[in-house]
Amino acid sequence: MIAVIAAGWVVHLDRVVTREFRGRLWSVPARVYAEPIDLYVGAPVGAEDLEEELRRLHYRSGDPAAGPGHYRRHGGSFDLHARRVRFVDELREPELVSIRAGSDSITDLKYADGRELPVFRLDPLLVGSVFPVHGEDRIVLAPADVPPLLRSAIKWVEDRRFDEHHGVDPLGILRALWANLRAGHVVQGGSTLTQQLVKNYFLSDEQTMGRKATEAVMALRLEAHFSKEDILVAYLNEVYLGQDGARAVHGFGLGSEFYFAKPLAELDAAELALLIGLVKGPSYYDPRKHPDRARARRNVVLQELADARLIDAAAAKRAAAQPLGLKPPGGSYVPAYLDLVRRHLKRDYAEADLAAAGLAVYTTLDPRAQAAAERSLARHLIRLDAASRVRDAHLEGAVIVAEPNSGDVVAVVGGREVGADGFNRALDARRPIGSLVKPAVYLAALETGRYNAATMLLDAPIELKLGDGSTWAPQNYTHETYGQVPMARALAESMNLATVRLGLDVGLPRIADTLQRLGLEKRPILNPSLLLGTVEMTPLEVVDVYTSLANGGFQARLRAVRAVLDEHGQPLKSFKVQVESAAPPAAVYQLDRMLILVTTRGTGRGASLRLPAGMTVAGKTGTSSDTRDSWFAGFTGSYLAVVWVGYDDNRVTGLTGAAGALPIWTDTIASLKSASFQPVAPELIEDRWIGFADGLETTPACSADAVVVAVPKGTVLPAKPGCGPSPTGSLGDKIESWVKKIIH
Amino acid sequence: MPPAPPQPPPLQPALPPAPAPLAPRPPEPPPREIRLSPATRSLVTQAQTQAAHGDLPAASSTLDRALRIEPNNSLLWIELGRLRLAESDAHQAEVCADKALALSSGDHGTQRQAGRLLADALRAQGRNQEAREVESQPFMH
Repeated sequence: MIAVIAAGWVVHLDRVVTREFRGRLWSVPARVYAEPIDLYVGAPVGAEDLEEELRRLHYRSGDPAAGPGHYRRHGGSFDLHARRVRFVDELREPELVSIRAGSDSITDLKYADGRELPVFRLDPLLVGSVFPVHGEDRIVLAPADVPPLLRSAIKWVEDRRFDEHHGVDPLGILRALWANLRAGHVVQGGSTLTQQLVKNYFLSDEQTMGRKATEAVMALRLEAHFSKEDILVAYLNEVYLGQDGARAVHGFGLGSEFYFAKPLAELDAAELALLIGLVKGPSYYDPRKHPDRARARRNVVLQELADARLIDAAAAKRAAAQPLGLKPPGGSYVPAYLDLVRRHLKRDYAEADLAAAGLAVYTTLDPRAQAAAERSLARHLIRLDAASRVRDAHLEGAVIVAEPNSGDVVAVVGGREVGADGFNRALDARRPIGSLVKPAVYLAALETGRYNAATMLLDAPIELKLGDGSTWAPQNYTHETYGQVPMARALAESMNLATVRLGLDVGLPRIADTLQRLGLEKRPILNPSLLLGTVEMTPLEVVDVYTSLANGGFQARLRAVRAVLDEHGQPLKSFKVQVESAAPPAAVYQLDRMLILVTTRGTGRGASLRLPAGMTVAGKTGTSSDTRDSWFAGFTGSYLAVVWVGYDDNRVTGLTGAAGALPIWTDTIASLKSASFQPVAPELIEDRWIGFADGLETTPACSADAVVVAVPKGTVLPAKPGCGPSPTGSLGDKIESWVKKIIH
Repeated sequence: MPPAPPQPPPLQPALPPAPAPLAPRPPEPPPREIRLSPATRSLVTQAQTQAAHGDLPAASSTLDRALRIEPNNSLLWIELGRLRLAESDAHQAEVCADKALALSSGDHGTQRQAGRLLADALRAQGRNQEAREVESQPFMH
């Protein structure tokens, strides 16, 4: 009777084990690649950048003749033996190339045999893997990804008879027992890797005899059905290695990124030994909290590996002297970006297509932009938190960087803790956009043809009776009023009263139309407070709306996924640049000229202090009511970036867009080596000088506050007395203004 | 702070020609000739070869690369529009032509190419009257 029950129990466990393990084993994740870097003469890649990229791509310093995957550097000269690599559009065979780089850019590029090479792509960087269908992500190792040293070392340290036993190791248990008796306390566990895996997969943490028996039976059944190789790789992917906030760090792939910010294949013996040592007690040996314990444990592992002759004794000694080499999380683990990739896959692909094994997803991610955005956000939030009186909460933030012409999303930062999978503020934090809405109001005004940058607006108190009978009396952020101001200044200084008057004159329906044409999906409620940005958007939606402003009135559909290839390298589908007309280029050009003034004369003028001299950018600050949300959206000649800063619980930050989001934006842009924003003037538009305060046509020689605005050709502007059409200014001034104009 | 980024080859001369008679307005941009950089020119050639062999997806992806290097070069948008026409996507071809036109003010040669693309894209959608209007624009002659 007991035997029957026991047999039934074993059969049951057998089923559970087989079904569950098979399910995990066969769900091979798709590999996700970043956009490959193109090298050409003038490409903004300096010699140091290039070497860093080659290292990230696992190129080794050495004789290129030794085979693909090697490079040799002499100063700024690189001889590179590029590997065979699959791109979206071709399979490239190994090639020998010579590259010369200065401190900031590529200066020469050719094949090693001297043939011309106008442009050359580096390999695409693997940035992670996603399960496109079930939404979980993890850095999952395939058998080929497991470094040989890890393979033998984990067996040696955790389960020496792994290759011989059948899931349970009586000899191991006896040995552990003996060791524990001798030591007087528990120094060894007798669990095999298989038992540990079973425990992780199926069982709770309680230490009972029943649980031990279940574990043993399951381990035996697992071994009966699956190969040692499958079990070992599953173990390496499943083992618990630490805690990152709310997120458990499972697996050596993720562990390597979490502790060292580099792929497993790049770890040296000391780093591998640290991870292997962590298996015994990830929190007790937590190298960030208890570096001395972690170091001692690592060195014990190194000694064991040397005793087993898995590494030589001298190398073990050297490794034991090394520092821990921990890195702050960040770099090539990009959960927020992968989140967008997954959503775009869901949007654009059939689920059945994505279930196939061995897919490769080619994204538009630029790892350098991603790293720059992560660094800037983290750095400034720490600074802003330190300066804030709030002690029971941390400021949060989000950054998205896109290439506005193509719509390529190149970086997504979903919060200050980059490594944390969780609330992705870049995609999901829906907040009032404040003054980020104003460009749409001014664009709608310009589109009517009744306004230009020099049109005078009245900035004076206004009270409105709303539909519900209440009265709305907006104020300027400064609580002052400015009287008659030219439109360009009202926008640059983000004057609320002038904007409300302008918006009411243009009409709310027209402004809602403009917003929708720019990409706002849902029609906003036509309440006058719309003019001051009560409409709520996510940072991603703001990017969508601002692409048209950064792109001459053309909206490019945002994309994170360029193509998905199947295991044979055949494209399942690819996503082309898709552009739509969203606003008249002439009106957008006039608006963009005003948005440049925001960053030179207006609320965003802090930008010019931190950017390289002569670099022109355009953008707008946004601050929601009582400073709950701090925004900046702006663009250069190559990038559009949107930054949001606020608290998750929506409390007051005390930060305007200029104080909170702008420095993060500027730092990100400054480290991107971006080109100046140089919009091309449409045929019917011309640039003119006006006084920033009085809006009268003038010259730089005549008025200290002269600024360039764009107006339709032939527009009659009232001139500043004495600065009229008669020629003024010296030849030198003319040349200076010319040069300024070209730089702008 | 990194130094100023390298710019693609200038579309305008780096220094102005001798200034025109003094005027209070910022001077008009001079006529210009839009060109491709050596890198984008080689990619355009590659895309044309790929398209000629019938591999339109590869050609499209190659032009993507070129656009990453020079996103505001109207000649690239004209190439992309031609490719969209070959893919029978006349609407996208039309938008590419519009974009190329917006980017090529001051360069009549490029405007003419963009205008021809626009007219072709409109005809492909049966909008012959609009195509003729484009062809009668001053820059087309």
